[in-house]
Amino acid sequence: MKKRSFTPYFFIGPHLILFIVFILVPTIYGIYASFTKWNLLGDPVWVGFENYKTILFDSTSTFNAQFMNGMKNTLIFVGLSVPILIVIPLMVAVALEHKKVKMKGLMQSILYIPGLISISAAALIWLLIFNKQLGITGNVFGSQIPWPANQPYAWIIIIVITVWGGVGGNMIIYRASINGVAKDLYEAAEMDGAGSIRKFTSITLPSIRFPLIYTFVMTTGGAFNVFGQPLMMTKGGPQQSTHVLMMYIRQLAFGHGESIAGMASAMAVLLGLVILVISAMQYYVMNRNAS
Amino acid sequence: MKRKTISLILLTAIFSALLSACGSGSDKNTIVFWTPLTGDDGAYMDQIVKEYNATNPEFKVKHVITSDMYTKISTVINSGKGVPDLAIIHADRVPGFVKQGVLEPLTGVLSAQPELKQDNYLPQAWSTGTISGTQYTVPLDIHSNVMYYNKDLLKKYNAESFLDDNIVTIDEMLSLQGKLDEGDYVVNDALLGWVILAQVQNLGGDIQQDGKPAVNTEVMKKAFESVKKIADAGLMTPFGEDGYLMFQGGHVLFSTDGTWSSTAHAKVEGLNFGVTNIYSPTPDKFTNRASSHLFAMLTNEKRTDEKEQGIGAFLEFIRQNSMEWAKAGQIVASKQVIESPEYKNYIQSFFTSDEKEIESLYIYTYEHYPYIAEAVDTYCADIVRGNVDLDETLATMQKFVEDKIAENNKAAGQ
Repeated sequence: MKKRSFTPYFFIGPHLILFIVFILVPTIYGIYASFTKWNLLGDPVWVGFENYKTILFDSTSTFNAQFMNGMKNTLIFVGLSVPILIVIPLMVAVALEHKKVKMKGLMQSILYIPGLISISAAALIWLLIFNKQLGITGNVFGSQIPWPANQPYAWIIIIVITVWGGVGGNMIIYRASINGVAKDLYEAAEMDGAGSIRKFTSITLPSIRFPLIYTFVMTTGGAFNVFGQPLMMTKGGPQQSTHVLMMYIRQLAFGHGESIAGMASAMAVLLGLVILVISAMQYYVMNRNAS
Repeated sequence: MKRKTISLILLTAIFSALLSACGSGSDKNTIVFWTPLTGDDGAYMDQIVKEYNATNPEFKVKHVITSDMYTKISTVINSGKGVPDLAIIHADRVPGFVKQGVLEPLTGVLSAQPELKQDNYLPQAWSTGTISGTQYTVPLDIHSNVMYYNKDLLKKYNAESFLDDNIVTIDEMLSLQGKLDEGDYVVNDALLGWVILAQVQNLGGDIQQDGKPAVNTEVMKKAFESVKKIADAGLMTPFGEDGYLMFQGGHVLFSTDGTWSSTAHAKVEGLNFGVTNIYSPTPDKFTNRASSHLFAMLTNEKRTDEKEQGIGAFLEFIRQNSMEWAKAGQIVASKQVIESPEYKNYIQSFFTSDEKEIESLYIYTYEHYPYIAEAVDTYCADIVRGNVDLDETLATMQKFVEDKIAENNKAAGQ
């Protein structure tokens, strides 16, 4: 008789259970809900693709307008924030590698800690910093308008708080991977007369290819799910120009009045599809270029 | 092999115990009481519950503050597990919840406690919970949109006469045009959506007609236009600035925020303030758009009759002993409390000082009110500031509400 071992199940079990209970089942149910009309309390009523048709093609519908505006604003946020969240942490990580930089651990902590602070607490502080009367916008920049209520400033403050909170995470990954690059490569390059820029582009960047792809894909996925920053900083204004898709989804499903969870699920599934396609494309393009 | 099997069973047992622990917490001699009262309000309610439990009742009350209570309610109602015995819900939730069968009538509770009756509460707070002759809720309070005024600024600008008849009209406010120092404003834009909904009442209109939402109407247009006049005259705090803080900073004559803000205003050193009704376009009528915290029982077959008696005893205790709730700045719904001399010490007693004031506290009970409020809140600031075309936006708002209602009807299989 072959002896069965349970040991592997002990290791994988807890994660598998949590994954099934909190991710797999809700995802499947969410996809199912997107094909229904559902108010969270009654039984879902199956309507096939009706929600998707309304969201994508019925230009007279409020939900179409919300989805298009939300998606547009989300894409603007992704376009603005992701490049900064890749470049700045990379630059910081490389700079911290320099021999003359003292107190590297302290610098790293200072940059990393904002990521641990809750977005609502951080937003309250930043709103005061950007307050026209109390903060820097009026007193330092001499600006006469309230930033959260005017574009392009509304986007600027959202991006500032995002970058402030998001730099640390990627930086840690870059630092760790740069540390893993063999020192003799740099020494050899120096002997061949390579400057620091050449060393960065020809040694550092190719060596941390996978961490770069990983952070790029994960940061983009995270940026698509943006919610807290615009909610807290601008409440979606001015004129819903920073109202991102996740805010509409939440308002529909868990806002005031009876829930419109079916429509919200359909929007969420569409957002998920967009993230999936873009992540796959990023991975494909970067991996191909790298190899 | 045997040991492994035992440890596997043990682990499974621990896991299931842990998971089931999340859902339980109810025991048969405890009234599990959910409220969405976060912050200071929750602490005041904790105190009331503590005082009740100190009387050694048969059923003790366990107060659970749940910040996203309405989401959790849909979860527990769906699964039928972990349904609280008692909950506090907001007035605008009642019609929808009753229609969906989420609330249980309080018939049993009320028949056991004869003092829990309409005559002992503010009338509109009580009647909000009456649907087709059945009582579903017992009120705790009315929390309303009110207008605070800065006494020193009123004196400075010789505007104390505005308060004479307890109605500050928009014309009176406009009379201050050109008279204010730079950086001073007549009114802020706090809770602007509620102010607009009050004007709809002041102008003799409503938000529904024959059960259909009425947003794109002449009255709504007039309501917006009358408030917009103040902004156009440059008398409203600038768009995007924190008008609430500016009032506390002593630069704004009137602040249209809530009853609950009085405690925060009182903490500001040097702020000499009073409270009156929300401004009106007409000297004949004033309205303070209000809501109410209501005790309700969510549908739960497992709730025993004995426990319902226990809930009744708790509600009767609240009716007699909710002075603590006045500290939170709210207008207590129990007449016994508001008629006691101690209640006069609270600033919000102004709103129960006579019949006309009580009547002014207006709670919208239209079934789809939450969607209309959402539409008004989303668009009101841009309309009042002239950032968008009024007619076009009113049409958008009407469509916004109608589209959402249509979704509800489809979900209900209609």
